[in-house]
Amino acid sequence: MSKEMMSRRDALKLGVLGAGAAMLSASQAMAAAPTEKDVKFDEEYDVIVVGSGFAGLAAASKAAERGLKVLILEKMGRVGGNSVINGGAFAVPNNRDQKQFGIEDSAELFIKDALKAGLGINHVEMLEVIGKRAQETYDFAVKCGATFQAGKKPTWFGGHSVARTIVTSNMSGSAIIQPMAAFVEKLPGCKLMTRTKFDDFVMSADGTSVVGVTARTNYRFDNKLLSDDVENKSGEKKVYRAKKGVILASGGFSMDKVYRQLQDPRIIPTQDATNHEGATAGAMLKAFQIGALPVHIDWIQQGPWASPDERGFGVAPLLTQQGLFVKGVAVDVRNGKRFMNEMADRKTRADAEYVILHQDPKAFPVAIGTYNTFDEQVYAAVEKGLASGVMKKFDTLDALAANYKIPADALKETIKKYNEDAKNGVEDQFKKQSLKDVKGKEAIEMKGPFYGIRLMPKPHHTMGGLKINVKAQVISANTNKPIPGLYAAGEVTGGTHGASRLGSCAIADCLVFGMVAGENI
Amino acid sequence: MRSKKTLFSIGVFLLLSAMSLIGSEAATPSPAKEIPISAEMKEKFPIKAHHAKLSLKCTDCHENQGDNPENFKLIGDEGCLSCHKSKVYLAERLKFMDTLHVNPHNSIHDGPKLYCDECHFEHQKSDNMCLSCHSNDVKLWMRETP
Repeated sequence: MSKEMMSRRDALKLGVLGAGAAMLSASQAMAAAPTEKDVKFDEEYDVIVVGSGFAGLAAASKAAERGLKVLILEKMGRVGGNSVINGGAFAVPNNRDQKQFGIEDSAELFIKDALKAGLGINHVEMLEVIGKRAQETYDFAVKCGATFQAGKKPTWFGGHSVARTIVTSNMSGSAIIQPMAAFVEKLPGCKLMTRTKFDDFVMSADGTSVVGVTARTNYRFDNKLLSDDVENKSGEKKVYRAKKGVILASGGFSMDKVYRQLQDPRIIPTQDATNHEGATAGAMLKAFQIGALPVHIDWIQQGPWASPDERGFGVAPLLTQQGLFVKGVAVDVRNGKRFMNEMADRKTRADAEYVILHQDPKAFPVAIGTYNTFDEQVYAAVEKGLASGVMKKFDTLDALAANYKIPADALKETIKKYNEDAKNGVEDQFKKQSLKDVKGKEAIEMKGPFYGIRLMPKPHHTMGGLKINVKAQVISANTNKPIPGLYAAGEVTGGTHGASRLGSCAIADCLVFGMVAGENI
Repeated sequence: MRSKKTLFSIGVFLLLSAMSLIGSEAATPSPAKEIPISAEMKEKFPIKAHHAKLSLKCTDCHENQGDNPENFKLIGDEGCLSCHKSKVYLAERLKFMDTLHVNPHNSIHDGPKLYCDECHFEHQKSDNMCLSCHSNDVKLWMRETP
């Protein structure tokens, strides 16, 4: 917010300083949000959505479908943030495809799985909403034009006790984002503005309710800045009124070089992440400044299926999560032994990989499997992984061992034992749940060829954020009640997944609570 | 993007038109005052080889922006597309890359919707946005971004 353009209020007098503001420097802590008396509105909408990812577009689609005039603000040039570079996997507990393939599931089982991965600190009432409404939300996404590989056996993701994940038609979140953006844009009075940066909330005259936002059009994100949120001054100022309220769906902060390191000093500014470069904390921090309650901010999830051999998310996560990890193994290259349940939750696996990497930063573990270990849904990605060199293919285990400098005899012994356990239906040393599927067969087919991917955890999802209730209303630290006119959904919220989110539950969370916000605003 | 200053002599206009036809139909004549391009300016605002070949002048792109290059503004998608037609047209030209889902003008993620200057920069090195996630794949997919 500009000092020149807008008058400042005495933040202390109005008493709307949130807990988050305490983390800011003294001079910034005085910069409270402007009130409607301080500004002149350039345009007026019913609903303003900040962010154009899964949560923002689900919220906007639902609100627009109800006949409301919706403005979506997206700071980046591209639509969709992390969602449009996401792998398109959507956990739908108790879905129709599961029934078709005889997989028994329930909302209760989903919640149990999520609590186990989340170390029990999840806000269960939020999981209940996801468990109850995921199938309905899936149908709403399809109605908005999203396309999925429906009618196939659902994919089995780590930490889930059954296969319950449905993947989009193109294995990317774009099969949801593109049609949903088009769905909103063609409804009367609705608009999506890219390169438009949300700067601050505009409060009611008494400072209690959110009635609009200040923003900058023609803003250009600058990845060379340490903190784009603080340093970037590009663009022209605009003020938008939101008659019914604002839905904050600005995503997580895995790429906020300053804020993520404050939460976890091990994540240095140069650390690669799976996220797009605009995934920063700025919008969330503005909500803290008007009183939103922070929850679980320092739980930053790292993806255990990423590879040091490519930048960002890349292709490795598909080939491991829906491939090598399911029936194959991951081994410590120093001794050829397994060191984790390859299908455990993300935190358990990332921690296990870090135990090795902290002892020897170059000893990247290797995921190993054969062609049969890949899900049908990722066949198309196999060649891509090989061509880019992230995945390597070997005719024999000896060749694979030589390439990764793994003791060959130890590796062969590991795989022999693993295959025997799987074939005999005996529980393996790490109690891997997906081996139930290969009883009587070779999990890793010894005829080869063998595939390998080196592993390195990367920051992926920031578990913490604003506290919302089951109606997606943001809760105030000043009143413990909803802040009138402020809703939020998706990664900017916290608590739902506790310490660690299960794979394919981000789309579920974002779409379900986006839709809920769009219904209630 | 058209200049309102059309009262220049028809002779000059026709001469420029003829010159631009030799170069390419893309080079729209600009009746604005010609800005002499010094060696210093060439270094400060280098242009891409394919545009230099067409003898493009500053004001061919920076229309109605005065005659001081220091004050020129970005021309935006509208500027690029005044010669390059449309994003859908550009996507069509690279349709053969759709087979492997690697058409940068019609990607799986964005379709034919990205801003031109997510990747292409005229006065500095272009930056292929695909690289931010597909660091290993891009070299298999395409040449350096023009």
